[in-house]
Amino acid sequence: MTVRVGKPAPTFETKGYHQGSIKTIKLADYKGQWVMLYFYPGDFTFV
Amino acid sequence: MTAVAAKYDEIKSLGAEVLAISVDSPYTHKVWQEGELSKIIPGGLPYPMLSDPGGRIGEQYGVYAEEDGVDIRGRFLIDPDGVLQAMEVLAPAVGRNVAEMIRQIRACQYVRQTGEATPAGWEPGKKSLKPGEELVGKVCQIWSPDMAF
Repeated sequence: MTVRVGKPAPTFETKGYHQGSIKTIKLADYKGQWVMLYFYPGDFTFV
Repeated sequence: MTAVAAKYDEIKSLGAEVLAISVDSPYTHKVWQEGELSKIIPGGLPYPMLSDPGGRIGEQYGVYAEEDGVDIRGRFLIDPDGVLQAMEVLAPAVGRNVAEMIRQIRACQYVRQTGEATPAGWEPGKKSLKPGEELVGKVCQIWSPDMAF
């Protein structure tokens, strides 16, 4: 599958850490808002 | 990541949320937040850190590097309808420009609200273009490259 601007972003549901607790978070939770999703290579990296 | 956190209030004021994601477990995120990030940004990162075990989400976005087992530095701007509006992928050792991320949110929102187009280097207050027949071949009359800077 290819991602393309103008097409629906791939949906997902996964565990996340936020404000001291671990919870399930899905992209659909943010419908109606803009979402800046950013991937990064790993925790404890420098950039 | 802490640079994004430093501008988080501005991003939120635009009606946008930030989601960071890596292949690390939520427990690793917690340890990194408590052990290091909270010392750089009081209270730690204010936005969720998601876990992408095995890179299955990164795979869908085309940023999972199987040979290294990590998600590379891809950034995706998704609109309120769930449609992708902007994307950028950088080499692992190259950090992002948060000001440019914010500029792109503003530009995408402007385009969505007005149906107009934002030329190179557009910032709020700068000239936008109304796409249409009358503009074809005449952009040079109302816009010049020095306006991009």
